[in-house]
Amino acid sequence: MRKLSVSLFFAFVLSALPVVAEEAFLGTDFSSLEGSVELESTLFPESPLFTGQENNAVSFAIRAKTVLEWNETFLGGSDATLTITPFLRFDPRDDERTHVDLREAKLDLRFGETDVTIGNDFVFWGKTEVDQIVDIINQTDGVEGTDGEDKLGQPMIRISRLVDVGELSGEASFFYLPYFRERTFLGEESRLRPAVIVDGDNARFETGAEELTPSFAARFAGFYGDFDLGFSAFHGLSRDPAFELNPGSFDPATGDFELRPVYGRITQVGFDGQYTADATLWKAEAIGRFDQRNLSFEREDYFSGIAGLEHTLFGVAETNADLGLIAEYAYDSRGDDALTVFENDVVLGARLALNDTQDSSALFTAAIDTETAETLLRLEGERRIGDIAKLSIEAGAFLNTDNRSLANQFQDDHFLRATLAVFW
Amino acid sequence: MGDSMSISGHLAHWIVQVRWLWIFLSLVLVLGIGSGMRFLTLDPDARIFFAEENPDRIALDAFEAEFAKDDNLLLIVEPKDGQVFTPKTLAAVGELTEKAWLLPSVRRVDSITNFQNTSAEGDDMTVRDLIEDPVNVTQAEADAAKAIALDRVSLVHSVISPAADVTSVGVLFRLPGKDTTREVPMIVEETQVLVKEFRAAHPDIRLRLTGSVMMNNQFAVSGQEDAATLTPLMFGAILLIVFLAFFSVTGVIMTLLVIICSAIIGLGALGWSGTAMNSVTISAPLITMTLAVASVVHLLASVRQTMVETPDRKEWARRALEEHMGEISIACITTAIGFLALNFSISPPFRELGNIVAVGVIAAMVFTLTLLPALITFIPMKRHLKPARTDRFMRPIAEFVIRWRKAVLWAGITAVVVLMAGIPRLALEDDFVRYFDERYEFRRDTDFFENRLGGMNVLEWALPAGESEGISKPDYLKKVGAFTEWLRAQENVRHVRSLTDTIARLNMNMHGDDKAYHRLPDGADEAAQYLFFYELSLGYGMDLTDQINVDKSKLRVSVSMANVTTAQMHDLTADAKNWLEANAPEMAVDPTGLSHVFNQISYRDVRAMLLGTVFALIAISMLILLILRDLKLGLISLIPNLIPAGMAFGVWGYSVGAVTLAIAVVIAMTLGIVVDDTVHFLSKYKEGKRKGMNAEDAVRHAFDKVGMALVVTTVGLVAGFVILAQSGFAVNGDMAKLTAITITLALVADFLLLPAILIALDRRNETMSIKTATTAALALVVGLGAMPKAQAQSAEAKGLTIAKETDRRDIGWGNFRSSGQMILRDSAGNESRREFEGMNLERTGAGEGDWSVIVFNSPRDINGTATLTHSKIEPADDDQWIFLPAVKRVKRISSSNRTGKFVSSEFSFEDLGSQEVEDNTYKWIRDEQCPDQPSLTCHVTESYPRNARSGYSKRVAWTDTTEYRQWKVEFYNRRGDLEKILTSKGYKQYLGKYWRPATLFMQNVQTGKSTTLNFPQYQFNAGLDEGDFNAQRLPRLSR
Repeated sequence: MRKLSVSLFFAFVLSALPVVAEEAFLGTDFSSLEGSVELESTLFPESPLFTGQENNAVSFAIRAKTVLEWNETFLGGSDATLTITPFLRFDPRDDERTHVDLREAKLDLRFGETDVTIGNDFVFWGKTEVDQIVDIINQTDGVEGTDGEDKLGQPMIRISRLVDVGELSGEASFFYLPYFRERTFLGEESRLRPAVIVDGDNARFETGAEELTPSFAARFAGFYGDFDLGFSAFHGLSRDPAFELNPGSFDPATGDFELRPVYGRITQVGFDGQYTADATLWKAEAIGRFDQRNLSFEREDYFSGIAGLEHTLFGVAETNADLGLIAEYAYDSRGDDALTVFENDVVLGARLALNDTQDSSALFTAAIDTETAETLLRLEGERRIGDIAKLSIEAGAFLNTDNRSLANQFQDDHFLRATLAVFW
Repeated sequence: MGDSMSISGHLAHWIVQVRWLWIFLSLVLVLGIGSGMRFLTLDPDARIFFAEENPDRIALDAFEAEFAKDDNLLLIVEPKDGQVFTPKTLAAVGELTEKAWLLPSVRRVDSITNFQNTSAEGDDMTVRDLIEDPVNVTQAEADAAKAIALDRVSLVHSVISPAADVTSVGVLFRLPGKDTTREVPMIVEETQVLVKEFRAAHPDIRLRLTGSVMMNNQFAVSGQEDAATLTPLMFGAILLIVFLAFFSVTGVIMTLLVIICSAIIGLGALGWSGTAMNSVTISAPLITMTLAVASVVHLLASVRQTMVETPDRKEWARRALEEHMGEISIACITTAIGFLALNFSISPPFRELGNIVAVGVIAAMVFTLTLLPALITFIPMKRHLKPARTDRFMRPIAEFVIRWRKAVLWAGITAVVVLMAGIPRLALEDDFVRYFDERYEFRRDTDFFENRLGGMNVLEWALPAGESEGISKPDYLKKVGAFTEWLRAQENVRHVRSLTDTIARLNMNMHGDDKAYHRLPDGADEAAQYLFFYELSLGYGMDLTDQINVDKSKLRVSVSMANVTTAQMHDLTADAKNWLEANAPEMAVDPTGLSHVFNQISYRDVRAMLLGTVFALIAISMLILLILRDLKLGLISLIPNLIPAGMAFGVWGYSVGAVTLAIAVVIAMTLGIVVDDTVHFLSKYKEGKRKGMNAEDAVRHAFDKVGMALVVTTVGLVAGFVILAQSGFAVNGDMAKLTAITITLALVADFLLLPAILIALDRRNETMSIKTATTAALALVVGLGAMPKAQAQSAEAKGLTIAKETDRRDIGWGNFRSSGQMILRDSAGNESRREFEGMNLERTGAGEGDWSVIVFNSPRDINGTATLTHSKIEPADDDQWIFLPAVKRVKRISSSNRTGKFVSSEFSFEDLGSQEVEDNTYKWIRDEQCPDQPSLTCHVTESYPRNARSGYSKRVAWTDTTEYRQWKVEFYNRRGDLEKILTSKGYKQYLGKYWRPATLFMQNVQTGKSTTLNFPQYQFNAGLDEGDFNAQRLPRLSR
């Protein structure tokens, strides 16, 4: 409840900000406050694997976003934008899932061709659909979504500059990440949690400065004709933890134990690219990562890559709908020791956009392990209701899981999640 | 572009092409003409104000030839104990008298000690120094001398004050007149040494300096001081204004370079002409620089606009030149004409000032149009990416004038009348003493002299006796004596010097100091004898040649006046003439003297400059007519051109009153400057009218276009002249102040009165239907004649021509922001709304289409979703990215889908993409009345897409024949059926050129669905550049 009251206080303060700004107190040229409240309900048709879990879960979340913008005011006449986006998830069943995060709390300064960002921000790298292996700046918010695409805000100082090299036009960015954010893990009562409880609050760092260990990253992203290219490098604490036994958690009586995350220093270089050929998008990502501990807690260097295509059929069946066909292959040189489920998988998918006034769309994917035939099915769909609400449906199924695979622990966690978000 | 380039376009191109040449030529010009500056000297003579042909000067010269040219120095002795007649003070005065003799070119020294006192010695008469041995004088002797001195009408108020507390030592010089620029300064230098020594030796005596030598020196000193103090101020102000306007150090440097070069040319030309500088022309460089800044700022302001669009500095220079060459030239030429009109002045310093500034301004024009563009291409300048958004700052004023035009008109007329009524309050006041304000020691000392002792303003009468040796005739002497007495009785007269006093005294001395004989002698020979004896006994240099002319036919009567106005001196002159005509008509002559010439100069110059002003007015009006090509506007322009100076005079009349001869030149001078405002305003007004705007909109257009620029130039000019107004020299100060007021009022007149007049006159014209009908009939005849020719063109060629013209008219818009609203309606009438903000950037490269960003604000769930499109010419696909705010992801998407519906609207991607001429083939069908626009004629053309992937087989468009706006487009699908109809409404013009509809309505006739796109606001010159249209930046554009 303390978290809740803190967050309510946050929301209150933030909602006051634009009001103050509008009174010209801050001299802003633009200010806005918007956000959403969402109600989420998840249904698990199968009985839970672990005790304490239930067949349905309800939670709600609030997101608020304040933007204040000043034109040509800061340091030598730069444009400045202050963005603050607090997020609150309240899950009555799981204290771990009930959390507050400052998704964004950043000041963007713009000096002509140079941008500087100071504060909490999101940075997305990558091109492919099923997973973005090059994406490394933000920590995964492990308690939020079901697909690992939700992230936590990362404190950073970023300096970006537009760069044109002949026909290659893009932006070079340098990141100084002074603070490390630990991954969040679902608590005992939540479905879709790993078989072994991970005590995220008791993480171990392999660096003396712990979460204050700075990380550094650089990226160039741009395009050359029909090619969109990204090159990136990262050095610092891995966002992907390895796991070890949580000391003192082993109960000899029951044999139960907990794990705790271990974060070590790694180096990663990455490439991501896309070739746009008419209605077909060819995509690829590849990384080499050094010193990452694997599932067996061994340090190793590895390679990982994803390649594939997305082809869109416009106006299928004489309608306005577009159908996109997706095929991707994901490879990880660590094989079964990989910390991801996509280690040697083929992903097939289809994206349907009805192009109606309600922006109805759906995405279906099937990730099939080429060795074990383990299959993860996902369906996402959304449709706007009226002008201010949106209904989203998410469904997942875990097929052909065997005890060799990571997904085995979710074998009974097929789910159907409906989310109603109201925007204001 | 190539063949449609204007003359200025070609010129601009050429100027930028050979830019090295300009640097070189400028260097040659500045060094060549500027080297004339080495000949420059400063002439410290008050008489520079008098032209050779000035009748008053001729009279003065004649007078001085007959008597003497009084270049004098007055050493004013004020003992701190208030007693002149003490042994100590008299010793000091004696010492000062002796030392004064040692100054260069001294002719005579007059003091209380060496006063030639006459007295009877039995039957004889002796002449002795009043204090024969000042060093050893006793108090008793001093007291006796005091009694004598205060008894002498020739001493009191001249050498000794009535209270005997102040005395003067007068030093007269006979200047060789060989090197006027050196002689006076030399005397002053030596005097300063003498004064310093005296002050050190006599701390109990205060010594002050005045006299014509000191005054001449003051002319030089104040000129130099002005140059030394005002120039840095001026540079500071220019620096500040240019920096504030452009935030660019290099801009400031370039400005300084141009204005300094211009000033050097002006001064160099003066140097080559062999004319010395003077206290008026010393302000010429400052005026030149002030005026030159306006030109430079004009050009740099254009650069500031262009730099937003392109980093190519050559293009900055080229475009600035092409667009502003004409305006800058006109502004400089009219200004130069105004200054050249100063040649009509009777006062040479003003002629010289006019010529120097005219040369300087023309030089400024040349440098601004050659050297400055060259510098812009060479010197890196900080590139601002946001345009200076000033176009709408003036809107409130425009709206105010339009809303209250009648009130403004009447208030304006009232203000003009009331202010001009102040003109009679002006008093021409040319007192050379008061040309210098109290900051100068000379002025303070002279004021002291006039308050305590004598008068600096002297009127000289050379009273003719009618014949040689005639001055000793009793009749003549009696008349002179009476005149002298009459003069003494006049107000403000401090002292009258007349030989009749001496003769009366001599008469008394010759009669044993019998007071009864203190009158003019009756006999014809007596006066002559007395004078003969007297002259024999006078000390060295004390002769009477400066009071009697050589053939003894004229006596000199000098009247010193203190604290008088020019008008009072005029009165005395007139009264004296009346008195003489009544009592001695044979000697009724006009007075002369330096003061008199100054008294007359303003009156003479106002008349002379009237002609000059008319000349300038005619020349400038002809130019305006040439530019505006409109007689009515030309006539209207006279009002805001002439009225401001009149109002400024009125303001001056109410507030100050006294004015120096500077006033004569102000109208002509300011005319050339203020006319620029009027021309700019009227030409933009006319441009608006030509585009079919009504008077109100044309006024708005003019305000938008030039309002801010006029404010900025006015601020710059007023700042320059206000700085010049700080001069302690009233002639320059008044000129600058009046000019500053005039320029300010001119802006007010242009902003308030002119628009009100324009609208008022335009309203009257609307009723002139006969005239309109005639014009229409004429147009019809011309149109009929042109028709067959037009039809001779093939339908395909004409269709292409129309498409090209439509495209051509939309070139150069640069960039804009817009906010839009989309309303989707289904056949049942259900509505769904989307709001978005757009940014567009014009691209001109080969094969390139324009760039655009659309950021959605609503519905809320897609808030922040942004698309970026880099259009390509068909058949190439556009480059397109989308930003998804939920996952912060930028994604390149396929744009091969031409027919797809943009956010499920009736607009396809194809409809919204940038339309290029090359995308289609064309055919002209017919001309007819535009749909829903009865007053417009439209070309109806068909276009056939070249790209097979297009969703259309053809489009039929209605484009009006005047502005090439598309009012309606019909879209035929691949099967050839009419599918959609697009109607455009609420066209508004932006940047005075580009038309954008406020509403696009797309009706799908097949499905009954429709989409309305509203663009309530476009903001052109929004400061967007390529960097804003970068995919990597999309996350930061979405907010």
